Amino acid sequence: MRSAMRLAGFAWSDAELDALRPGLERALASLDELERLPLGDTEPTTQYRIF
Amino acid sequence: MGDLVWTSVVDLARMIATKEVSPVEVTRAFLERVAALDGTLKSFITVTGDSALDAARAAEADLVAGRVQGPLLGVPLGLKDLFNTAGVRTTGGSKILADSVPTADATVVRRLRAAGAIVLGKLNMHEFAYGPEGLNEHYGHARNPWDAQQTRVTGGSSSGSGAAVAAALVPVALGSDTGGSIRIPAALCGITGIKPTYGRASRAGVLPLAWSMDHVGPMARSAADCAIVLRAMAGYDPADPTTSVLPVPDYGAALTGEIKGLRVGLLRPFFMDGSAPEVTAAVQSAARALEGLGAVVDEVRLESVWPVAAASFAIVASEALAYHAAWMRTRSADYQPDVRERLKMGAFVTGVQYVRAQQVRARVRAEVDEALARRDVLLAPTTPLPAPVLGQTETRIGDAKTDVRSALIRLTRPFNFSGHPACSLPCGVSGDGLPIGMQLVGRPFDEATVLRVADAYQRATDWHRRRPPLA
Repeated sequence: MRSAMRLAGFAWSDAELDALRPGLERALASLDELERLPLGDTEPTTQYRIF
Repeated sequence: MGDLVWTSVVDLARMIATKEVSPVEVTRAFLERVAALDGTLKSFITVTGDSALDAARAAEADLVAGRVQGPLLGVPLGLKDLFNTAGVRTTGGSKILADSVPTADATVVRRLRAAGAIVLGKLNMHEFAYGPEGLNEHYGHARNPWDAQQTRVTGGSSSGSGAAVAAALVPVALGSDTGGSIRIPAALCGITGIKPTYGRASRAGVLPLAWSMDHVGPMARSAADCAIVLRAMAGYDPADPTTSVLPVPDYGAALTGEIKGLRVGLLRPFFMDGSAPEVTAAVQSAARALEGLGAVVDEVRLESVWPVAAASFAIVASEALAYHAAWMRTRSADYQPDVRERLKMGAFVTGVQYVRAQQVRARVRAEVDEALARRDVLLAPTTPLPAPVLGQTETRIGDAKTDVRSALIRLTRPFNFSGHPACSLPCGVSGDGLPIGMQLVGRPFDEATVLRVADAYQRATDWHRRRPPLA
């Protein structure tokens, strides 16, 4: 957590990171699921169709 | 005053145009109601009474002089406090922007003023629109007018917009919707709100939560009222490059009351199956009502929506932190705790995860498009439960325990992902007397059909005409 935080340019205290941990662990678990999805070569959406 | 404040936008506009009532009389009636009730409801952050009355007098002078009038001349309007207003503070519901005074109106505000609408003030919201409960620790939590004990949330993030319209403090308000923030308070407060297609209404001059998911739209007591306001605010805006050049149709003219032969897809797995029994029963009953009006209803399964929660987190957390990064480094203590925590989480999403989330988004959009290739609208509950109690963090739906925040946003955000237009309208009440909402989802830029079905339903039912106990 500390490394990721520093990489993102923040400097939160250990206490702040500890407070964040339960919610963050749930979120990271869901992101792991995202990485396992069989999305193949689906092109990511970066723009909406503008008619 | 009593009947005037419960008059529809459509009727107010007509009565003012025909000089049956004066804009000043109408504006005073709503301001008196704000003064009487908003100490309890906390739906406003800033009331602009003096400038509203000045605008009403100017509208009256226009009427008397016979000058060209807009379709909303003299109609009072509330703005979620993230729409920039020239000379009036725009706080985003935050301490950080408590004294921020824009020099120009947001595009949609400018258009609505040009149509004759009179801004009564700026409405409460979840801080920086980052929460579906509608909580605000800086200006007080807005209260749901359907709960006489004042213990229920309004839903959010457009909490003040939901409460103010439901209690007739304004006939119409603007909200924004990144994961459901128009539709959730509309459902929990028993009103009607439409999130138009991404690109239909300009976001220029609107504080962002997540640029690629943000939409703006009207919240009122009926689909007909939403139609007249949406028409006045929608359309291409060079200041928002995501807006479409497609012409804006006359949504009011589309409200024929006729839906015979229209095809309605009832979203069963994930949506109906993931909702409380009384919500499911209300939406099922609404589907039967639509069948009774001549619509053809079948059931639809959307498989791609299951990972939307994780994908939504990746996108919204990243984009929100990108916008807030500077303040999070220098003024982190000035955020309310839940918003500060959500913003921090954005630091832990990787670039790969963000792109994976955009891949999920492409799939959701394609599947919704496919479902709508054979149907005119899709139907689902707006929220899987009625308004929870303030401070409630967990709830039970069927046998499953879930956190309130995830539950509130679960059924709405797939259509922020896909960008399709979605309108929430009341379709029942719970055992506790709280409103239940359903959402109608349409093809891209086909708000007209969404509003037509919603209006036909409202002509045949009276859920949207019921008044809350606190009003």
